[in-house]
Amino acid sequence: MKLNKLILSFISAIAILLSTSVVSFSKVVGDKIVLGAAISLTGKYSSNGVHTQNGYNLAVERINKMGGVKVGGKTYKFDIIYYDDESNPKRAAQLAERLISQDGVEFMLGPYSSGLTKAIAPVTEKYGVPMVEANGASRSLFTKGYKYLFAVLAPANLYLDVAIDLAVEKNNGKPVTVAMAFEQDAFSQDVRLGVLDAIKRTGSKKVIDDKLPKELNDMAATLVKVKQMKPDVLVVSGHTKGALTAIRQIAEMKVDVPMLAMTHCDAAKLSKQHGKNSQYALCASQWHKSLTYKDKFFGSGKKYAKDFEKKFKYDPPYQSAESSAALLVFKDAFERANSFDKKKVRDALAATNMQTFYGNIKFAPGGQNVDKPMVLFQVMCDGSGKCENKVVAPTKWASAKLIHPIPKWSER
Amino acid sequence: MNKNILLYTAILIFGLAAPFVFPAFKVQLSILCVLIVLAITWNIQGGEMGYNTFGNILFYGLGMYLCASVQVGMFFPLAEWTESGGEKTFVHTPAQFFQGMAAGLVVAAVVPTIVAGLIGYAILGLRGHYFAICTLGLGVAAGEISGGIEIIGAGQGFTTPPFPNVGGLEARGEFFYFLSFGALILTFLAVRSIYSTRFKLILNAIRDNEDKAEAMGIETMKYKIIGWMVSAFFCGLAGGIMGGLVGYIDSTDVAFDGREMGVFMVLMAILGGKGTLWGPVIGATVFHIFKEGFWTFFLGWQYVALGILIVVIVIYFPEGIMGWLREKYPERFGETIDEADRKAQVELK
Repeated sequence: MKLNKLILSFISAIAILLSTSVVSFSKVVGDKIVLGAAISLTGKYSSNGVHTQNGYNLAVERINKMGGVKVGGKTYKFDIIYYDDESNPKRAAQLAERLISQDGVEFMLGPYSSGLTKAIAPVTEKYGVPMVEANGASRSLFTKGYKYLFAVLAPANLYLDVAIDLAVEKNNGKPVTVAMAFEQDAFSQDVRLGVLDAIKRTGSKKVIDDKLPKELNDMAATLVKVKQMKPDVLVVSGHTKGALTAIRQIAEMKVDVPMLAMTHCDAAKLSKQHGKNSQYALCASQWHKSLTYKDKFFGSGKKYAKDFEKKFKYDPPYQSAESSAALLVFKDAFERANSFDKKKVRDALAATNMQTFYGNIKFAPGGQNVDKPMVLFQVMCDGSGKCENKVVAPTKWASAKLIHPIPKWSER
Repeated sequence: MNKNILLYTAILIFGLAAPFVFPAFKVQLSILCVLIVLAITWNIQGGEMGYNTFGNILFYGLGMYLCASVQVGMFFPLAEWTESGGEKTFVHTPAQFFQGMAAGLVVAAVVPTIVAGLIGYAILGLRGHYFAICTLGLGVAAGEISGGIEIIGAGQGFTTPPFPNVGGLEARGEFFYFLSFGALILTFLAVRSIYSTRFKLILNAIRDNEDKAEAMGIETMKYKIIGWMVSAFFCGLAGGIMGGLVGYIDSTDVAFDGREMGVFMVLMAILGGKGTLWGPVIGATVFHIFKEGFWTFFLGWQYVALGILIVVIVIYFPEGIMGWLREKYPERFGETIDEADRKAQVELK
C-alpha cells in the first residue's frame, strides 16, 4: 500500500506546481497596453496566421513609433501576447480562456479564420472582453447577439456574389450556369451561401455543387465534371490551399471555363507562385493596395504595401491589411473612451466611425463592418510574364477592365 | 484499507477545492478530467483487453454532437439554430440551459453505448492490426459524414448554447469543472468496481490468449462488446461535456478529432502504464502538464517537444510510469519476491 504514498506525493506536487505558476498580470503594465491573440502559427491556416500576425506587428510598431495611445493624459504603447492555436478551434477556445483568466488580458485581437473566431467569441463574450477581429467573416458570427465582438471586415457571403452578377452582366443579363466547389469550413460555406443567394436572385442555375475536404490538395474530380458540364462560371473557395490547388490543377488539366472566381488569391501569392497559369483568375478581396483610402499612420494603401514589403519581403495580402486596421480601431477606441474600462472601451468601439488606409470602419449592431465594400481583382500578366492583381470591380475602384471570357488554353 | 480511504479523500478534497484555490486553471483542470476519462476508457480496450482501438473518438464525437443537439433541439428548431445565415437569435434561459444539458448528457452517454454495441457486434471479430485499422477508419469516416449533415451545421460547425447569465463571471468555468470532475469520479468508480469482478479477468484472458479463453468456455465476443459499450458510455459523456466547454463543435477538429484526442488517449494510457487502474490517470495528468508546459515555453516547437516526449516514453518507459515503478519497487505494489528463488533463477541463466 505504499503505492498510495507515491500517488499522494504526486498530487501534492501538482498542487505546488499549479500554485507557483500563476503569473497573472494586468492588461495595462506600466506604459503598456497588453492585447492578447491566439494565432495559427502551425496547422492548416499557418500561412494566413502569419499574414495576420505580420499585420498586427506592423501596426503595433507603427503606432508605438508615432506616439502610442493617449489615455488620461498618459501615453501608452501596445504590446501583444501571442499563442499558437494550431488552427484548431478547441485549442483556440482554451487559449482565449488562458489569455483572459491567467494572463489577465482584457482586450483581444482576433485569430485567423471564421471557425476559430467562432470558438473564441463565446469566451470573450462571457468575460466581457472586447475583441476586434480581422479575419472571421462568417455571417453566423454576427447573428449570435455578441456584444463584444467587432469585425473590421465585410461578412463572407458578400465575397463572391458580385462575381455571379458580373457574369450575368457579361452574358447580356441572361442567367448563367455555375459550378461551385467549396471547402467544408465555416468561411467557405458562408461564401457558398452568398453565391447561392446570387444564383437565386439572377435566376441562374448551379450545375455542380461540390464540397472539398479540409486538408485540401486535390480537386481533380470536380474539374473533370467542369470539363464535361462546361459551366459559365467556376467558383472555388478553400482558403490558401484551395486557391493554389485550383490553379495548379486547372492548368494541369487544361480546364477551359469563361470565368474563374476564387478567394484568397493574394494570400496564396498566386501570381508569384503560379505566374501565367493564374492569369485571368478573378478574386474576391477585402482590400487592395490601389484603393484610395487614407489615414495618418500608414498613409495610403500603396504606402502600406511598400512598408509591409520592406519589412516582410512580400506583397501584403488583405489579411495583413485588415489585421493592421484592427489595431488602428483599438487605438481610436481607447482614446475616445479615455479609459481602460472594458465596458467603456466596448461602447467606444461600437461608436467607431473612421477611415483607415484599409477602408471605412463602422460597426453594425451585430459587430460586422458595414461601411466597406468588397472588391474583385483579376490576375493579369504582361508579355514578359510578370503578373499583377488589378481591381476590376466595383467600377468606382476599377484600375483595369475585366477580361472576359477567359481565353481557351489552346489559344494561350 | 485505511490508507486507501485517506488517498481517495485527499483526491476528493483536491478536486473539490481546486477551482477555488487555482481559479485561473479551471479550464485546464476540466480538460484534464476529460482527458483522464478518455485514457481510463481507452485502457479498457487497449490495456486490459489487448485490443488497440482508435475508434473511441467516434463515441466522444457522437456524444458531443448529441448533447449539443438535444440541448438546442429541446427548445428551439435545430435547423434554424445551425443555419449560418439565420437572422434569428435564440437565447436559452438558465432553466432551459441546464435542463437541456442534463438531458443532452444522458443521450450523449446512452446513444454511443448502443452504437458501440452494434458496431462492436460487426467488427470485434477482427483481431490485432485489422481491428486497429478498422477502428481508425471509423473515426475518419464519422468526421467526414458529420461534416456533410446540414442540420448539425455541416462544415459551418455548431455553436453550442452560450452559458446563461447566472452567477458571477466564474460560474461557467465552475459549472463545467464540476461536471467534468463528476464524470471523472463516476468513470473511475465504475471502472474500478468492474475491475474488481471476474469481468476484468476475462478481459485479461482475452488479451493473453483469446483462443484459449474461448476454449475455456468464455463467450469472448459478448465480453468484448460489453467492454466496448462501457467505454462508449463514458466517452460519450466526456464528449458531451467537452462540447459545452469548448462552445463550438467542428466536425473534424473538435468532435471527431482523431488526430489529436484520438491519439492522445492512446498516448496517455501508454505513458501511465496500460493495463493498470491508476496508469491512465497518472499518464493523462503528466501528459497534460507536459503539453501545457510545451505550449507555453516552446511556442512554435511544441509538437517537436511533444514528439521527443513520445520517443522518450516508448524507449525508456515502454511499460509506462506504473510499469516502471512496479519494476523498481515491486514490494510497493504488494508483490513479494522470493529473493532466494530470484537469485537461483539469475544464476541458472
